[in-house]
Amino acid sequence: MGKASFVVRRTLQLVVTLWAVGTVLFGLFRLMPGDPTSYVVSSQMTQEARQQLIESYGLNDPLHIQYIRFLENLVALNFGQSFHSNQPVTDIIATYMPNTLVLMLTAFIVAYALGITLGVLSGWYRGSRFERSTVITALTARSVPTFYVGLIVLWIFGAELGIIPMSGMTSLGTGGQSTGFLDMVFTMDFLRHLIAPAAVLGFYYMGYPLLIMRTSMLEVLSEDFIDVCRAKGLKERTIMFKHAARNALLPIITAAAIALGYAVGGSVLIETVFAWPGIGREMVRAVLRRDFPVAQGTFIVLASTIIFLNFVADLAYGYLDPRVTYD
Amino acid sequence: MVRSDADMKRRDFLKATGAGGTVGITALAGCSGGGGGGDDGSGDDGSGDGSSGDGSSGDDGSSGDDDGSSGGGSNLPTYTYVNNAQSYNPPRHDAINLIASQFDEELGLDIEVDVLEWGTLFSRVSEEYDYSFSTWHTFFVSEPVTELNNLFNSGNTDPGQGNYSGYENEELDEMMGNYLAEPDADTRVDQAHEIQQTLMDDVPTMPITQMPQTAIYNNNQVSNWEADLANGFNSYWTMINLEMQGGETALKGYWPETLSTMNVLGHNDESKHVYQFNMMYDFLVQLNNNAEPDPEVSLATDWDRVDETTIEYTIRTDHSWHDGEDLTVEDVAFTYNYINDNEVPLYSTQSQYLEGAEVVDEETVRINMSEPFGPFHLGIANLIPIIPEHMWADRDNPSQANISEPVGSGPMMFDYWEQGSEFGLTKFEEHFAPVDFDRRFWRVIPEASTVWENLINGELNYEPFGRIDRSLDQNQDNENIGTQFNTAATFWHFTSNTRQEGLDDPQMRKALVESIPRTPIVDQILFGFPEPGFNVVSSAFGPLHTEDVTEYEESIDAARSRLEEAGYTWNDDGAIQAPE
Repeated sequence: MGKASFVVRRTLQLVVTLWAVGTVLFGLFRLMPGDPTSYVVSSQMTQEARQQLIESYGLNDPLHIQYIRFLENLVALNFGQSFHSNQPVTDIIATYMPNTLVLMLTAFIVAYALGITLGVLSGWYRGSRFERSTVITALTARSVPTFYVGLIVLWIFGAELGIIPMSGMTSLGTGGQSTGFLDMVFTMDFLRHLIAPAAVLGFYYMGYPLLIMRTSMLEVLSEDFIDVCRAKGLKERTIMFKHAARNALLPIITAAAIALGYAVGGSVLIETVFAWPGIGREMVRAVLRRDFPVAQGTFIVLASTIIFLNFVADLAYGYLDPRVTYD
Repeated sequence: MVRSDADMKRRDFLKATGAGGTVGITALAGCSGGGGGGDDGSGDDGSGDGSSGDGSSGDDGSSGDDDGSSGGGSNLPTYTYVNNAQSYNPPRHDAINLIASQFDEELGLDIEVDVLEWGTLFSRVSEEYDYSFSTWHTFFVSEPVTELNNLFNSGNTDPGQGNYSGYENEELDEMMGNYLAEPDADTRVDQAHEIQQTLMDDVPTMPITQMPQTAIYNNNQVSNWEADLANGFNSYWTMINLEMQGGETALKGYWPETLSTMNVLGHNDESKHVYQFNMMYDFLVQLNNNAEPDPEVSLATDWDRVDETTIEYTIRTDHSWHDGEDLTVEDVAFTYNYINDNEVPLYSTQSQYLEGAEVVDEETVRINMSEPFGPFHLGIANLIPIIPEHMWADRDNPSQANISEPVGSGPMMFDYWEQGSEFGLTKFEEHFAPVDFDRRFWRVIPEASTVWENLINGELNYEPFGRIDRSLDQNQDNENIGTQFNTAATFWHFTSNTRQEGLDDPQMRKALVESIPRTPIVDQILFGFPEPGFNVVSSAFGPLHTEDVTEYEESIDAARSRLEEAGYTWNDDGAIQAPE
């Protein structure tokens, strides 16, 4: 089977998977206990008014009608309108997603650049004090809750030393001054606010690629071609990075693709500690308040990204390792 | 063994409130994601009582799953006390566990605690009536009997209608009806006293703690905090009286979660919205700090009750909207008719009493009621925001309109809204009741420690959310922090479902009330900031409140004696037995 038919087959699978995810989400949110209107109504509202609200949301229609409408809207990439803000869900995603992406991508790049490098070195220097310390660091990074690290960072560098801002993406009271998202992102003020949450997240994410890379390096280093390289008189650094590391990189691709997919969902804890207005917090808030359209929309975007990036990782495998076929 | 609450030892207290509680069935855990959390629309917004706020994160930690149903053998049913998740409102969660353990251990009731996510809890109580006891933070607006009528009128006992306690009393219905129709304020005062006396005699509901209104601020930057009745230190009256200090020109606050909407007719009455819209829009009348309509600071400069269903307001003729258009009597008449004709859900209670509005002359508008409604200023004119006809006339579905830049006529104008991050208002220079600051903004900050750090160093200068917690207790004496506390109109209620066997007996309800450790809850869970509750109409309502109601001592001995006198007994296991 060629690459083209693989792409077609996987694309179809992707569509089916998305339909399944959408259906499960639709069912789950409606099975959840609790009345979505309980978060929208005020104590001033009469029962008739409340009923009117339920009708306006379409929640009094039979489930199959709601489901068909949901699928129709999904095909048209219309996730509906938030019960709470009456904004289109796509607008809400467009508001919060860029904030999340810029934070998560920064953290991701830092984590994978550092994690891969340290993983290569710790694999190479197996048995050394350096290896032990990097492994301990990686395990610590993965074990200590991010919100806890975040609070400590805020306390030391924010409250005590005053060198990082305590909250948000921009300085207090400067809202409304930027003409657009990009205009805001390329300011020193924004970068100052980005450093701490990105560093904390980067520290957390770093452990995973570090450990995978180290293990992969250990496997590669035991293979014959490494001895051949040495016999050829290549420099140790060349063997380490050009031959061993490149061959050890393959497992990282899948891990990175999935991690990147999850990154789109943001980090609720970090967004909460640093008051970062990201999609993660909005997603949790939508679930807790039974704002079905927003919850469904954000979860579907998250699922789509993970599925799509997994697909990209499969394609990348074939490109990076010619031994991989598309059968 | 029978003890009084005075004997309640700290160990017992900690045992009862500790993680997991002593009774309980854990239902749902979860992060809280929004205000006011706990900002739930039913009036409980999780604020003002030590809630971690809606924006707080973290797992519930579950409240424990130990059953604790002791007292087996009672011939009364097993009672269910519904509790919010710990993460949603930690102190209230602990208080409910404590009360349940008192009922269980001291009165011998068979009781279980169901920990539920807020929406589920609210539905269980208000629509399904599937509960025995409930507690949340009840918000009364500026007119208490309107709210009491919703809660206790015998005609409101169908699911979702408001009377979730199931309490029925025809005499009380009549008293409340008379009050609501009474145009004379002095007569209404006497009627209000009688209503609260009746309610406190029968105790279908009991205030556990009378929550405080709080002003927490940086005293180097802002001063002169004067509260009003409904919105405390976040009110219009407070804002127009604030004085800025030390060259500061901005009022800088926070909220733990983002606002949901800019639609003044489409929000859910959560405090975070009310506080903003009250500054962006004018209302026919505004209240002063004595809860009286004050023409000096209101859109209406005079009013006249023509008859029991008609009232005329004289409107300022020199006022304008934030976009520069003139504000006219046509706008006022349009607002009332528009809200009525479109059946705006947020104002459905007010609409019940409205027939329509008409322009009399260029400065007078006449409002016709569909039935007599005495406290019109407090219950309607002070609550309906005046909206510009030129912006709203073409909107067919006002409550679901997606509005990005609201235009009002209040003392503050919309400036910017960065969703999830910050909301800003600027001063409307032309307003008849100007504020002393040039701008006001709220930053979304879920983390309480960050808020306190910012308050102390002056990056924020006031705390509108009113979080009552350990941080407040620890920081209130900081030299940069000023605090003021007033009794609020709001309280944590304890409500029995009188539809259930045993709870239909007033003696049982009174005994339950007597066994609630109100003072320990105030002192140990809420750091002594509130007052123990004793009356559904708080002293914040001024003359409408009376001290002359039946008071219940906090005493297990008194509760058990009362039950014994009513014929209740206890078996060898300590389980209570209903009278033969």
